Amino acid sequence: MRFMIIVRATQESEAGAPPNERLLEDMMKFNEELVQAGIMLAGEGLHPSSNGARVRFSGKSRSVIDGPFAETKELIAGFWMWQVKSREEAIEWVKRCPNPFESECEIEIRQVFEAPELTDNADIVRKEAELRAKSAQLSDRGAR
Amino acid sequence: MRFMIMVKSSGDGQNCAAQDEQFLDRMRKFNDELVKAGALLALEGLHPSAKGARVRLSAGKPTVFDGPFPEAKELIGGYWLWQMKSKEEAIEWVKRCPFPPQGEIEIEIREVLDVEEFGARMAPSMYGRAQPALVDD
Repeated sequence: MRFMIIVRATQESEAGAPPNERLLEDMMKFNEELVQAGIMLAGEGLHPSSNGARVRFSGKSRSVIDGPFAETKELIAGFWMWQVKSREEAIEWVKRCPNPFESECEIEIRQVFEAPELTDNADIVRKEAELRAKSAQLSDRGAR
Repeated sequence: MRFMIMVKSSGDGQNCAAQDEQFLDRMRKFNDELVKAGALLALEGLHPSAKGARVRLSAGKPTVFDGPFPEAKELIGGYWLWQMKSKEEAIEWVKRCPFPPQGEIEIEIREVLDVEEFGARMAPSMYGRAQPALVDD
């Protein structure tokens, strides 16, 4: 099963403050454990919302709102994608995650849809798999 | 530049499971265009937050809260990762997303930190990856 592990934003992440040395070390060890366990599929950090934007769709209209966005609770700072046996296993790993911030932080765990869960149409499932394969290629090409 | 394009909406999980084949087809065509443009790096839909959880990390023991989470504005229904020349280009593509005209949808665009900015030791991509398991029925 795949889970998106979402690091919810804090005032610290929105301020764009770089993490301290101890945190970097702890996070590196944690990431290494995730890779060793065959769990780590992906992970990214996001720039603060000050250089982001939102596009609102209402009927045919589209409106663009520039960041920053004041409601920190609505924002995320980064995420991982993990492959685990169960929701419980994901929770146990998250409990061991070093806190990325000096202040309290929340990490959200959401299961990811696989194409067969969305449709019985074998053609669509196959096309979704092809799409993912192509996007993985583009992603790997760009990977440093 | 890489961008995370997050689909937030007025309803938890509505943008994925509740959609019909016509919508999936329109989305697939849109995604194919992104692939042709060399822009599509990743795409995922999330199960509703009712199946999810949150873990609060603080000074003491971590605390686990089960979903659902009531604040729809906090929730992501799905996301893409795109390679774009600029935020403006990302915005133009987002405006073309084929969401149905009924309902209110909000899409958030956030720039993804490069490894150099993240700090090489933080970035999971530096450590290689596990291979995703093939889904079997």
